[in-house]
Amino acid sequence: MVHQEAFEWYIAVYLFLAGVGAGSMVVAAVADMYDREKYLSFIKAASLIGMPLVSIGIFFLYIDLGQGMWKPWLLIFLFANPASAITWGTAILTIFTILSFIYGAYNLGYLKIGCSRCLNWLLIITGICTAGYTAVLLGSLKAIPFWHQTALPILFIISATSTGISGAMIVKLIFLKSDANIKPIETAHLYLIVLEIIMLIGMMLIALQGVPEMKYAAESLLFGDYAFLFWFLLVFTGLLVPAIAFGMEEAHKLHMKTKTVVTLEIMVLLGGYLMRYLIIHAGVYTKKFAEYIVR
Amino acid sequence: MNKKYAMAYIIDRCIDCKACMVSCKAEWNVPEDFFRTHIDQGLKKELHGKFRMDFLPSQCNHCDKAPCVTVCPTKASHNREDGIVYVDRSRCVGCKYCIPSCPYDARFYNHDLGVAEKCTFCLPRIADGLEPACATTCPGNVRVFGDINDPASEISMVLGAAKENKQKVWKLREDLGTLPNIYYIQK
Repeated sequence: MVHQEAFEWYIAVYLFLAGVGAGSMVVAAVADMYDREKYLSFIKAASLIGMPLVSIGIFFLYIDLGQGMWKPWLLIFLFANPASAITWGTAILTIFTILSFIYGAYNLGYLKIGCSRCLNWLLIITGICTAGYTAVLLGSLKAIPFWHQTALPILFIISATSTGISGAMIVKLIFLKSDANIKPIETAHLYLIVLEIIMLIGMMLIALQGVPEMKYAAESLLFGDYAFLFWFLLVFTGLLVPAIAFGMEEAHKLHMKTKTVVTLEIMVLLGGYLMRYLIIHAGVYTKKFAEYIVR
Repeated sequence: MNKKYAMAYIIDRCIDCKACMVSCKAEWNVPEDFFRTHIDQGLKKELHGKFRMDFLPSQCNHCDKAPCVTVCPTKASHNREDGIVYVDRSRCVGCKYCIPSCPYDARFYNHDLGVAEKCTFCLPRIADGLEPACATTCPGNVRVFGDINDPASEISMVLGAAKENKQKVWKLREDLGTLPNIYYIQK
């Protein structure tokens, strides 16, 4: 079995940052439509990180490029092939970055816009596309069976929304120093983390029964080279501990200080990054032959 | 009729000497640690506890429906009219997306030039009427290169003879729908 080596941690960082940025903007836009006044501190916090994080993500994509980095005029060709997922992604990212910049400026009081409801909807749609497209980018490659599955975009969208909430929460608690009550978002965050755990369990159980390449990829995460990162940093630190802590708070059995909440949110972000990193590195090429050598 | 270049490997003849890999590297100045063609080994257990080793050369399959061409955002990777899948180095931005898209793992990233690289069927050589370096070098005559649209070409003859003699002829991973153009022949 051969692991792919073309995509490395730069791409994982991009997938992660695009997810956090897009996720925070989507949640902010949804919260905006429910009750702008109540969630204003969250919306402002999301506005501060949404566009900047996506832009940093794009910067990582840019420095991962080869010739395109030192010959930037070639980048215009990125729109040349409508069949390529990178072309879709370039278009989606361009639109989303502009929209999230306008929305951020509006929320922070630098700009007045007419139809904020339209902007909310546009942000929700392009934000979900931004978060989901990162998985479609990997999933449209049938040469790598572990990526080539429908569960991946769903997992990435859930993780993007969850890490997006975490990112905005950290900004809200530390930089905006707001203790406004945004309980429904915290509840949603708990459910998203639980959903992510269920999705991961499902994906792993299915992958273990899948084609040999998929099984090999899942085994390298569960028992192989990446087992420590997977079990300790992703599952335990990034998902289980936050889920249990948020769940106990939800049940009023635990009252957490700001510091504890921020630590937990950082753990969720770490888990989100590792999820991308591990899925990128578990990409195993489909077999060229082996059983195709006929006797 | 258009030319359509293809290659056939008579794989019973391969002795894993790796001369093809070396000649390719020497001809095209392929970066260290990378090869445009490979020979893979497969070990199989036969009856009575005996083992058998198979050698399988491989390179870019110049697929008619190449995934690398589909996923290339800049159209730097494209299907030429003569059947060769070619990377236009002046257009490639080095996004690396084509590399994991290839089910044959035929591509790699050239760090010096910042572009994706792979076998070109020795395009400049065949324009001069020569064979690809690997086919010329192969001491066992494993590799037969030519235009399969020309019934008089060596590759058409070899494939025709293999069919007549009911030898096994196949291509790699046809189930993926890539329509590859490297034929494998085994007695």
